[in-house]
Amino acid sequence: MASHGVPRVQPATDRDQKKEQQKIKDYKGLVDSVNDGIRGYQCTTKTLELTSKLLKWNPEYYTIWNHRRLILKHQFEHPDPQVTNAVAGPDHETVMNTISDELAFLIPLLRKFPKCYWIWNYRLWLLKDSTRLLSVLEARKFWQQELALVGKMLSLDSRNFHGWGYRRTVVSALESIALQAEGSATSMTEIEFEYTTRMINLNLSNFSAWHNRSKLIPILLDERGADHLARRNFLDEELELIERALWAGSEDQSLWFYHQYLMCTFDRKYAAESMAPDLTTTERSTYVREQILKVRDMLDGAEDCKWIYQSLISLSILYRDLGNESIEKEVAIEDYIAELIKLDPLRAGRWNDLKSQTT
Amino acid sequence: MSLVSGPGRGGASAGGHVPDELKLVVEKHVEYIQSLDTRQDELEYWLTEHLRLNGVYWGLTALHLLGHPDALSRLATIDFILSCQHENGGFGAAPGHDAHMLYTVSAVQILGTVDALEELDRRGKAGTEKVGKYIADLQNQETGSFAGDQWGETDTRFLYGALNALSLLHMLRLVNVSKAVTHIQACANFDGGYGVSPGAESHAGQIFTCVAALAIVGRLDLVDKDRLGGWLSERQVPNGGLNGRPEKVEDVCYSWWVGSSLAMIDRLHWINGDKLAQFILRCQDPEKGGIADRPGDMVDVFHTHFGIAGLSLIGFPGLIAVDPIYCMPREVTKRLLSKLNT
Repeated sequence: MASHGVPRVQPATDRDQKKEQQKIKDYKGLVDSVNDGIRGYQCTTKTLELTSKLLKWNPEYYTIWNHRRLILKHQFEHPDPQVTNAVAGPDHETVMNTISDELAFLIPLLRKFPKCYWIWNYRLWLLKDSTRLLSVLEARKFWQQELALVGKMLSLDSRNFHGWGYRRTVVSALESIALQAEGSATSMTEIEFEYTTRMINLNLSNFSAWHNRSKLIPILLDERGADHLARRNFLDEELELIERALWAGSEDQSLWFYHQYLMCTFDRKYAAESMAPDLTTTERSTYVREQILKVRDMLDGAEDCKWIYQSLISLSILYRDLGNESIEKEVAIEDYIAELIKLDPLRAGRWNDLKSQTT
Repeated sequence: MSLVSGPGRGGASAGGHVPDELKLVVEKHVEYIQSLDTRQDELEYWLTEHLRLNGVYWGLTALHLLGHPDALSRLATIDFILSCQHENGGFGAAPGHDAHMLYTVSAVQILGTVDALEELDRRGKAGTEKVGKYIADLQNQETGSFAGDQWGETDTRFLYGALNALSLLHMLRLVNVSKAVTHIQACANFDGGYGVSPGAESHAGQIFTCVAALAIVGRLDLVDKDRLGGWLSERQVPNGGLNGRPEKVEDVCYSWWVGSSLAMIDRLHWINGDKLAQFILRCQDPEKGGIADRPGDMVDVFHTHFGIAGLSLIGFPGLIAVDPIYCMPREVTKRLLSKLNT
């Protein structure tokens, strides 16, 4: 879409101009032949090849992806009578080969245009067709390959929005009943949770991984049938992980957002959906008090880190809302807000609102 | 309307030094947008045909916000839009391109902006009822979500688009609004933001679509405003620009996605509007017109539109007020929404 991050190019010379005009002619000619083929209902291999040529040139031309779907649909629905039994529909081998070829065709395109929605959509359409037309074992193979592929993509660009979304889609397909040989769904939550740990260990600033973790934990604990103690232990481990990370990078907002997520556990407003919904008020107060002391320790040597003040403010409010007296008589919330207004003038409007709410 | 980027470059004349007092070069932007359809001798003009109808929406809306609503021929605009329609009511990106939610929504917005929605019944390939039905039929009855077209891609962008266009047509009755709202809630995250589908990471663009969809149906009460406002305000980076997710680079288009979302939840003052305006102005090409994603990059009509809409949102002097929910001139949405349903 549009020209994100495109640096300026040199103005064209006459020779470039001629070349450009030839390219336009070639491009428009190709577009016309593809469209003629579709309008004439020529769902043939030749038309398919023309769409390949065009899509390699311009994968954003969404109508051409649709043409390609129509051609494949036609081939699946009207198989060559010489090689198939018309009653039984397309033979699995033909479908498998076709889908396999299609998936391979897309790889270089995805590498070149990793943010093009239409390629990802088309790929998912093919995979869903594999589920629809093939046996569980055959289709499962395709989906499993996708998990490996998306893992590779995310190792190249660990924040790719499409990549993470695609991964969740592939995982939920592999978990679905339609792809189970035994007919019962199998969960991949533990494996995916481990995957977020690996990604975080590679790069702490990966908010995509922290986000996915936040979505997986409640499911993971439910699936483990975790009791109160198991949930508390799990929470303690997550707190330890984020505290270590914050000591290493207190300016990293990804980490503070995950810290905020963990603090939901102690907040009446959010606790019901958290990883430990049944903590008592006393337990919550103890946790929050401990967090206040730990976050305050981080100030030592990082007095200009605005995130620490933000966290101290919300923790102090939380502590008060749990029915406790303020821990620190000498430093009031207003003092932290005053620091924030100094350190973070871009968001002064927010801190002024907070000031008028707390006083 | 061409989606060709360039020829100008944001901040072209600045030569590394940016003066403190930057001006919005209104006349240059108008000329730039007017020139876009004359670039058929560039390959990129043909390579971007799949965005042509969006391009008209971006260019036309920018011109309206700049106070030059008549800079493009009204009749030619209507003719082009109608030439993109299919018999099922939907619109494609250009004549011969398949119908899709995105272009159908833009078509309704454009016709509404030039006060020509009645042309659908007069000389469209399909009338208003069919346009509404095309959109409504893309709703998933089970989940309340919307697909982009018959091939089934689902995204909160399409849900927003559907509610946007149907509300302008006074046809929201055709869809299950409460299921759509439930779907949006399923896309909410702990940080107050929303993703492209349930489970997906918060992203400023998707936040705009979800919050605006809730605004259209009067359900902003469901938004965790303080938490979302906090997350959105952290999108502003020291140079004044906004990014779309934590630790990503700033881009002029997020001036709109982030700014409008903050405006809808009454927290636009949680970012620094002056610094944002300075950033957008630095992305202009002061000589040839147009706005780029970042200073130094090529300009294009997409960023020109969202840059100007962003400036309008923060009340930049001389611009027509934009509606944060619809991204159309406020006067236009007021006129369309108050029209009695006939």
